[in-house]
Amino acid sequence: MTPLLNVKNLQTRFKSRQGYIYAVNDVSFHVLEGETLGVVGESGCGKSVTMLSLLKLLPPAARIEGGQAIFNGKNLLEMKTKQIRQVRGAQIGMIFQDPMSSLNPVVKIGVQMSEPLRAHLKMSKSQAWERSAQLLDMVGIPEAEARLHDYPHQLSGGMRQRVMIAMSLACKPKILIADEPTTALDVTIQAQIVDLVRDLRDELNTTIIWITHDLSLIAGFVDRVMVMYAGYIVEEAPVDDLYDDPRHPYTVGLFGALPEIGSTGQRRLTTIKGAPPNLESTPTCCPFVPRCGYATDKCHTTNPVLQPAPDAADPNHRLACWVDIRERRQA
Amino acid sequence: MTDETATTTNSVSLDAEGLASSKKYNLWRDAFARLMANKLAVVSLVLIIVLLFLALFGPYITPYDFLSQDLDARNQPPSWQHWMGTDNLGRDVFSRVVYGARTATIIAFTVVGISMLIGVTLGSIAGYAGGKVDEFIMWITTVVMSVPAILLAVVASVSLRPPMGRWMENMYFLTKIQIFRQAYWVDLVLLMTALVLVLWPTYARLIRGQIMTIRNQNYVLAARALGVPTRSILIRYVIPNSLGPVIVAISAGLGSAMLTESAFSFLGIGVRPPIPSWGNMINEGLDYWRDSPHLLIYPALVLGMMTVAFSFLGDGLNDALNPRQWRD
Amino acid sequence: MFRFILQRLLWWIPTAFVILLFVYSMLFYGAGDPIRLIFLRAPGDVAWDPDRIEAMREKAGLDRPFYVQFGDYVWNLMQGDFGNSLVYKRSVNDMIRVALPVSVQMGVAATFIVALVGIPLGVLAAFYKNTWLDHSILGGALGCWAIPTFVAGPLLMIVLVIWLGIMDVPYGWDGLFSTTVIVPLLVLAFRPTAIVVRQARSAVLEVLGEDFIRTAHAKGISNWLVITRHILRPTLAPVITQLGIILSFMIQGAILLEVVFGIPGLGRLVANSVVDSDYPVVLAVVLMGSFLVTGANLFVDITYPILDPRARQTQVKDE
Repeated sequence: MTPLLNVKNLQTRFKSRQGYIYAVNDVSFHVLEGETLGVVGESGCGKSVTMLSLLKLLPPAARIEGGQAIFNGKNLLEMKTKQIRQVRGAQIGMIFQDPMSSLNPVVKIGVQMSEPLRAHLKMSKSQAWERSAQLLDMVGIPEAEARLHDYPHQLSGGMRQRVMIAMSLACKPKILIADEPTTALDVTIQAQIVDLVRDLRDELNTTIIWITHDLSLIAGFVDRVMVMYAGYIVEEAPVDDLYDDPRHPYTVGLFGALPEIGSTGQRRLTTIKGAPPNLESTPTCCPFVPRCGYATDKCHTTNPVLQPAPDAADPNHRLACWVDIRERRQA
Repeated sequence: MTDETATTTNSVSLDAEGLASSKKYNLWRDAFARLMANKLAVVSLVLIIVLLFLALFGPYITPYDFLSQDLDARNQPPSWQHWMGTDNLGRDVFSRVVYGARTATIIAFTVVGISMLIGVTLGSIAGYAGGKVDEFIMWITTVVMSVPAILLAVVASVSLRPPMGRWMENMYFLTKIQIFRQAYWVDLVLLMTALVLVLWPTYARLIRGQIMTIRNQNYVLAARALGVPTRSILIRYVIPNSLGPVIVAISAGLGSAMLTESAFSFLGIGVRPPIPSWGNMINEGLDYWRDSPHLLIYPALVLGMMTVAFSFLGDGLNDALNPRQWRD
Repeated sequence: MFRFILQRLLWWIPTAFVILLFVYSMLFYGAGDPIRLIFLRAPGDVAWDPDRIEAMREKAGLDRPFYVQFGDYVWNLMQGDFGNSLVYKRSVNDMIRVALPVSVQMGVAATFIVALVGIPLGVLAAFYKNTWLDHSILGGALGCWAIPTFVAGPLLMIVLVIWLGIMDVPYGWDGLFSTTVIVPLLVLAFRPTAIVVRQARSAVLEVLGEDFIRTAHAKGISNWLVITRHILRPTLAPVITQLGIILSFMIQGAILLEVVFGIPGLGRLVANSVVDSDYPVVLAVVLMGSFLVTGANLFVDITYPILDPRARQTQVKDE
């Protein structure tokens, strides 16, 4: 089955005062139609930058150094700005982390929502306004019509995020990229938002790429998970496989840091020692080495390659690690 | 293998009081480094230091006395003997420009200094005490600020001149100190009084705003919760954190005071001839603008340069003290 | 809304009173009245013997105690009469009636120039940040700002009258649409334009870094729409309110400018009157000035919420 989106060898770096910051290194992944891909990793691991690169939404200091992103038969990375504007919003939608700063504070909600409808679906002002009210209704905002005349600061955080979701799905894009949409929200609201997106996905059959740093959030929600670290993909597997059989020391560490429901509370949550990596150079070894409890000599000299994990339950389980930790793990 | 894949954290040590102090990172050192990296600011700083030097020592090292006239050599264009030419009374323009630096510097620094003193005092009281005291002080600043600055200063300086003159006469009779005789000092004091009157509310408001903001910051609340005495809070937290905008305001104030002084001298109500001020030199030079433009150009140039220098320094200080690191 | 405006204007009254008292006292106890001033300037001059001075003063009512004169003044003021000029024996109201329109015309025209030139330049500089365009705009703005008015005027005169020879020496007032007014107008606009350029530039730069610009792009709308609706609109509030303040200062009459170019506006009026200690005139101008400043502040407080919805008093709706 041809993937809906196929990214190969994406390389993005930022120009900084001292040199460069290598944010995305040789990242390759794909997304099939209708599936939900979760992207997990700590702050600064490159998950957001990867997705922003696809839509050319990077800040001026960033440069896409290489790779391709095939969507609908065309390479997104080679598109001119005018072409990619037609993809943005209409084919690929994106929602961001902080709904307060992601909405224009001096423009009415209705106007902001009408914009993609008028730009892509060529609706008139009143048509777009009407459709926007329907969309707000769809995401569960009461008194939708009245809300259109409000400004973002008049709504609560959860409601603003619903507006963002409605806005991004307005033109029924094939793919929705959600960049940590729940991180800035209260826990109870988080659950509501995830439920909302799940319902919408089922209804519209949207393909979703969901970025988060919270593993527990995506368990019952995504089909596959991609774990990133220091700009590299370190592990990739169907969600059940990943939870049952995590292979990369980093993934293991992430799980270890999660408290479990039903545990007696005696186990100390494990932390991953060390600090986040310095991205100012491309490492010639595995980027996780300083924090890895399983590092061998080979890990210190050669950067691991993403390959199918040995003896994995699912053939789609890929891993970038020289070590088979199953032997080294304690029970 | 890469050497440091972990980011360098700052080494933290505990000093004698058991409070953590960071050896590598210090706000002032950091700001200073940033300032030095800003070439425009450094050039401006150099210019200002030159200005100060000239103000202090200039009149002693200039080739001519700024008052001595040479009626045979009037309105001469720049030459080797007179680097900036001579004016309509044969006085050396260069020496007068240098003396003008002294005038400008004395006025600017004194005015800003006194305004700061008054402004900081009143502003701190208002900011820290709050309530009625704050309201009252703010009301006074509003009243003063609602009169257009130049207007107020002009009125003040002109109307206070006669009584000031009389007072000076009396003081001379009493003490026989020469200073009271010189019209120059009357001019200076009047001008400075007028400028201080206009400038202090700005500083008072600035300080008050800073103090109020800092007072409500979490780290102050935390300190109070820990039982840190108020004096320590003031010295260690409030004052260091409020200095930033104040320093920038001082730099801007200096430039602005210089400009205002020359405007006043130009109008004839500031420093009056024969004592040179860039402003009154420009005024005198205006009459000869067709034939001897150098009379006008040199003081104007110097004035402009110093204003720009103070402005750039102010900007540089602002960037150094308020880094917006992600905005590059 | 009206209550708010009314409140503010009423608040101005005690403020004005204090200013009045303060300035009146300064002039009264300081320089004294014009007649006495003449005497002070040329003491011992035969023509001005003290008795004659006193007689003149008594005739003009200037020898009465402070509170009487002040009370008289305030009483007249409340009836809208600024009194009579002590030097020219004319009604101050008349003098102001002549000078005010001139200053207003100059002020409004100059503010127009400032807005039409300053804002676009500032926006351009922000969009092309750190390019030669940005640097030259900023440099130009700095140049305009650093040159004092009384220097820029003569310099411009030198350039336009002598070197280029396009006009005669601009002195005096011929009405707003004559050539004599171009140079002073330009000079008046120099410094405020520089301020507006810098301010517009930094306002735009701040907006450019915001997240919602990224969202706007992510929706795939046209660049033009992003610029006008998402980038420029948030900058309206600070820029326009700044213009309001600038306008009020311009109307007060740039004293220096009017003196240099001989423009019969409020600035020149006050410059002449202060020197003569003609305090009814001075007071009138000072009062008007303070009224304008208060008006400008009021304007800012009213328009800011209109332009920036966040500053409005509305309730936050919950889920």
